[in-house]
Amino acid sequence: MDIEIKNLEKKFNDNEVLKDISLKIEKNKSTIILGQSGCGKSVLIKIIYQLLNYEKGTILYEGKKNIDIDKFSMLFQYGALFDSLNLSENIAFTDYMDNKINYSRKVKSLMADVGLDASNYHKYPSEVSGGMKKRAALARALYKNPKVIFLDEPTTGLDPINSDLINDLIIKVIKKRKITAVTITHDIKSAIKTGDNFYFIDKGITQEEGRCDKILSTKNKIFKSFITGARY
Amino acid sequence: MIFIENLGKSFISLISGIGKLILFIALFFRYFFKPKFYLKINFKYFINIFISSIPIIALTGIFSGMVLALQSYTGFSRFSAESAIPNIVVLTLTRELGPVLTGLMISARVGSSIAAEIATMRVTEQIDALKTLNTNYYNYLVTPRVLALTLAMPIFVTLVDFIGVMGGYLVSVYKLGFNENLYLVNTINFLSLNDYLSGIFKALVFGFIISIVSCYSGLYSGKGAFGVGSATTNSVVVSSILILFSNYILTEIFF
Repeated sequence: MDIEIKNLEKKFNDNEVLKDISLKIEKNKSTIILGQSGCGKSVLIKIIYQLLNYEKGTILYEGKKNIDIDKFSMLFQYGALFDSLNLSENIAFTDYMDNKINYSRKVKSLMADVGLDASNYHKYPSEVSGGMKKRAALARALYKNPKVIFLDEPTTGLDPINSDLINDLIIKVIKKRKITAVTITHDIKSAIKTGDNFYFIDKGITQEEGRCDKILSTKNKIFKSFITGARY
Repeated sequence: MIFIENLGKSFISLISGIGKLILFIALFFRYFFKPKFYLKINFKYFINIFISSIPIIALTGIFSGMVLALQSYTGFSRFSAESAIPNIVVLTLTRELGPVLTGLMISARVGSSIAAEIATMRVTEQIDALKTLNTNYYNYLVTPRVLALTLAMPIFVTLVDFIGVMGGYLVSVYKLGFNENLYLVNTINFLSLNDYLSGIFKALVFGFIISIVSCYSGLYSGKGAFGVGSATTNSVVVSSILILFSNYILTEIFF
């Protein structure tokens, strides 16, 4: 699914978080949104997902202004698993809530896809590690077979080895299922590894865009300082 | 000038808070009568609330009844009216102290926990996750808690009334030397169904107030640990004030 965003603006009271954001998310591609912490990346994907309203601008989903958000799915920054439910109930949340009982096969297959051992089926989020929570949250996001998946800082809070494993997993899952992916991150290594196209946001404006394999050869001063960690 | 500005800001914030709460209640009823009932969740919350509150309810009842009997004795013995103690204990408990004290204790025990749980869910993006899973958070979070607490409160008040009367009985018979049969006969004779039912109606209203205020405080909490803390405090303070205020209004209406 193609998603096109034109001149998007968003304010929280007097704080203008997004001033002029324009970008295009291509079908079955992995788009990375880069930017410093607090630059409005999470706000942007919540607006695209229709979880937040916006002041000005246009969002077109396959050329239309409205979309059934059931085609979307999201992996939240810290997983956002429900503490009172075990991993299988979290993954099959909608079916579990509708009292459908034959979800275990699908859940186990998804757990295998994301590298979660079946012995974790009945465990609660508080009983597993951060990496396993992320995997379970990814399985939950994939449960409804989405057309577009939004990944909010999928490697945040993980050590380098687990981050790399999650990145590999994301690439594998996106390619296998032919999903359009939108990933938010400030991790350049992850962006280069998992993305096709990127957009860099700074001070509420789209400052740079291009292909992920060309990130390191950028000429944009602001983006360059973001990559190197130098202040400008 | 700054004082007037701050006063204005506080006034606007108060009015906006009341408006949001009214809107929240309206939306609750909208989704309540157009429901997707999660029976499993409703039943689970009812059992949770019920079991976790029984000890505190029992303690509230027994000590209230015992203190009432002792205090009434101190006053009534001056006029040789000790025989009125059973009547005072049972009427005070069923009409006023039972529902009000239960309401205040449940607001601290259950209301604060509801507010903290929902506020934590907001802070950790679980509420957003519910939306992405096509689940209405009124149906999943608010309705089960409001239903469970509103239905549990009359049972709690009945228990407090009963245990409180027993507390009064224990003090009166074993400490003050009352005749045990006479105490029970006086208690039963003086209690009318209306006294009990007025307390039960109050319990229903208080249960609704506590649950709706706690859910609202949790859902509109601020960010981080401070937001969760404030939501918890607000839920207890606002519920308690509304319980005391509505108790006066209901007493005016009933008696």
